[in-house]
Amino acid sequence: MTADREQIRSLDDPEVMVQTPATIYDAIPPLTPRTEREAEFYELGDGEMFVNLGPQHPSTHGVLRVVLKIDGEKIVDLDPVMGYLHRGVEKICEYGDWHHAISNTDPLEYAASMFSEALPVLSAERLLDLEVPRRADYIRVLAWELNRISSHALFIGWLALDLGGLTPILYGFAERDEIVEMLAALTGQKLLFNYMRIGGVNGDVNHEFLSRLGDWMGRAAVRINDQATLMNENEIFVNRTKGLGVVDREMALQYHMSGPPLRATGVPYDVRRAHPYSVYPELEFDIPVRTDGDSYARYLLHIDEIKQSLRIIDQVLHQMPDGPVMAKLPRLLRIPPNRAFAAIESPRGQYAAYAVSDGSDQPFRFRIHDPSFFNLQAVGPLTRGELLADIMAIMASLDPIMGGIDK
Amino acid sequence: MSAAATPAPHGVSLTGKIILGLLAIVVAGALGFFLLWVTGLGSALVEWTVDTGEANIEILRFVAAATGVLLFTIPAAFVIIYMELKIIAQMNMRVGPDRTGPFGALASLMAGLKVLSKEDYTPRGVDVPVYTLAPAVTFLASVLTLLVIPFAPGMAGYYMELGLLYFFAASGLGVVGLMMAGWSSFNKYSLLGGIRAAAAVISYELPLILGTFGVVLLAGAFGPADTSPLNLGQIVENQAGWVWNWYAFQQPLALIIFFIAATAEAGRTPFDYTEADSELVAGFATEYSGMRFGFFFFAEYVNVFILSALTVTLFLGGYHLGVDIDPILGFFGVTTPLEMSSIDPGSLGPWLLAIPLMVPPVLTLAFGGLLWMVKSGWGIIKSLVVGFLLANLLVGALFTFWALFSFEALLGVLVFFGKSFGLVALFVMMRATYPRVRIDQMMNFAWKWLMPAALLNIFITAGAIIIIKEYLS
Repeated sequence: MTADREQIRSLDDPEVMVQTPATIYDAIPPLTPRTEREAEFYELGDGEMFVNLGPQHPSTHGVLRVVLKIDGEKIVDLDPVMGYLHRGVEKICEYGDWHHAISNTDPLEYAASMFSEALPVLSAERLLDLEVPRRADYIRVLAWELNRISSHALFIGWLALDLGGLTPILYGFAERDEIVEMLAALTGQKLLFNYMRIGGVNGDVNHEFLSRLGDWMGRAAVRINDQATLMNENEIFVNRTKGLGVVDREMALQYHMSGPPLRATGVPYDVRRAHPYSVYPELEFDIPVRTDGDSYARYLLHIDEIKQSLRIIDQVLHQMPDGPVMAKLPRLLRIPPNRAFAAIESPRGQYAAYAVSDGSDQPFRFRIHDPSFFNLQAVGPLTRGELLADIMAIMASLDPIMGGIDK
Repeated sequence: MSAAATPAPHGVSLTGKIILGLLAIVVAGALGFFLLWVTGLGSALVEWTVDTGEANIEILRFVAAATGVLLFTIPAAFVIIYMELKIIAQMNMRVGPDRTGPFGALASLMAGLKVLSKEDYTPRGVDVPVYTLAPAVTFLASVLTLLVIPFAPGMAGYYMELGLLYFFAASGLGVVGLMMAGWSSFNKYSLLGGIRAAAAVISYELPLILGTFGVVLLAGAFGPADTSPLNLGQIVENQAGWVWNWYAFQQPLALIIFFIAATAEAGRTPFDYTEADSELVAGFATEYSGMRFGFFFFAEYVNVFILSALTVTLFLGGYHLGVDIDPILGFFGVTTPLEMSSIDPGSLGPWLLAIPLMVPPVLTLAFGGLLWMVKSGWGIIKSLVVGFLLANLLVGALFTFWALFSFEALLGVLVFFGKSFGLVALFVMMRATYPRVRIDQMMNFAWKWLMPAALLNIFITAGAIIIIKEYLS
């Protein structure tokens, strides 16, 4: 139905009468498609309609927008629209010196920013061929693993919340709260820590951090199990996630997935073991692997990884040597012309940076490889033909963080 | 702008306006009465009113009962919302509301007032009459079902011979409101929510109603022949006596089927896909705001209470305690039947002394101990004093109620609400435990499991009745 439009005077020229802007009753004029894919997608078939999911939708984990073409409850096709959080981090990094890059990459992975801020640090150290003090390395591993647990706890809560469960998110947040308080005692920040430094870390571990850590370690394993018992054999949760969003080995490798979604398909690829960095070669831990490749396997894998992280923290606390936490470096860091690749295993997969230095104190090029972006690509093929409710379960189990995807 | 502070020179103050307005009403009323009296219209009017009232006494009763039930649902919904806030908070390792009122008990009331004071916004593009009516339809449909539930012996909104049939007819109307809301909201999420609600109700009304057939069959076969087996009051009376007389023990499968279907019917977790917040934002209620949204909200909680109450009525003995109290009282020398007129305190003998000696200290200790355990800041003395006051309050309220009604009504109401709110607590705990079921899984479950199970239950019950009636008696 089309409402009668009024004629009003133009704001530019009062002599000219123009029509009022379109009302909501008017059909939205079709956009000229820019690609063949767009032309195909924005063509509605019989009985189909578009539903706009996001960017403010409660369950798209940030500002991802997905245009769904649905037939009843069934998803026919989908078109993810990204870039709502785009800041141009890579370019910003080129305009500050190497130290600025740390705080610029900090908010990329905002649920676990210890990892994204380590990228410029590790790549600069590779470029300088710098030996980091061993105590600093151990503290880094401690911070990484704590942050991994907090991120995984959040993942478990989000997954349950997207499926309609109210309780696990609060169990997850109870865990995350304690870790965040701990890291706040260590770094002074609660979300974007800005703790890693080229050649070490910002400060040594302090008393409050260690006492909080010891307090938490005593009951962490029990509490993780508590959370798991609520969901592992919850009939509805298992029915909702098992056999849903199955990624097989070939597809995972094809889409360049990494992290838990890749390991859930049976590929034991973990950067900590495949391309060891820091003191991970000296630590004893397993790479948990599941073979089903569905949402439930991804969920179980996160629980396994939390247990492995607890194991690593335990070893780190026992093996940590004394010594300085910062290497001796000039304040104005001029890195000789070279190129380096640094990769790190973040909670979401392989976080990597390719850094090029031209001899100045600024990076010439700082390319960031974000695992969420590659994992999220699988949403398209996985959700086609599934139901509307399933897109949440699939998306939540791939655990994308939009800060890194939009960069 | 200091002009606002000084009053207008020749204006009437607010008090004056109120007094003048009241005066005008009083004068007009007095004049009207005088005119009626002089012309003789007054007595004619009274006569006509009385005649009409007598002729339509059934309609008047219905309206009065519906109004009473409507007024009852609001506090019931507030209590359920508070229970939900508090129980889920405990299960989530949170404190929950604790600022307004004792233990935050007024939080739900404040939320209600907040909803009431919010802007009632009608978006552009909605189908205005349908959009406006939808919350009222939903709310009234759920409230009207409460009319036939017996709260205590002799205490029901309206005794209907076909009470159960009326219940399902009225509760089936609720989905019309949801569909109206979903269709008229001019929003795709609302539309999906409304259609999901319709699909859910079509699927789950059948097992819900078929689940009650077993009870109806039993009531028809073994109840008195002069009343209908659909009469809810009669169904409750059939379950009098000891706890194993409850239909839950004769119809366990039906109870399970009915409870699951009731959860889906009320749109509660794990069947809350009609307003799935992570999928459809808020489902059919997406475009609603203010008290219209509040009506949907209220309707949901009233529905929870009503379906709990119906489960209690049909399966869990209604207002019966489950203890055959007559032999026990006979043991202590109290004559039966226990009624207001027949209570003779003298017949208790020496036990009469025990009541004033035992009851106040026990109640005080119970309340005081509970407070002392819960309120960490309170000393034992303060807890005991407050406990004593609360005990007095409770005893006073009980005696007042007793004086006004009867012991049976008092016990019945307490037992009925105890059971109903116990079931409501179960609904609430399910909400904190389970994720949401997907719509196709829920359809499969309704048609492939609940429906055959309900039919099987009917066949088994009917067969058992035939065997008992024909061969065993």
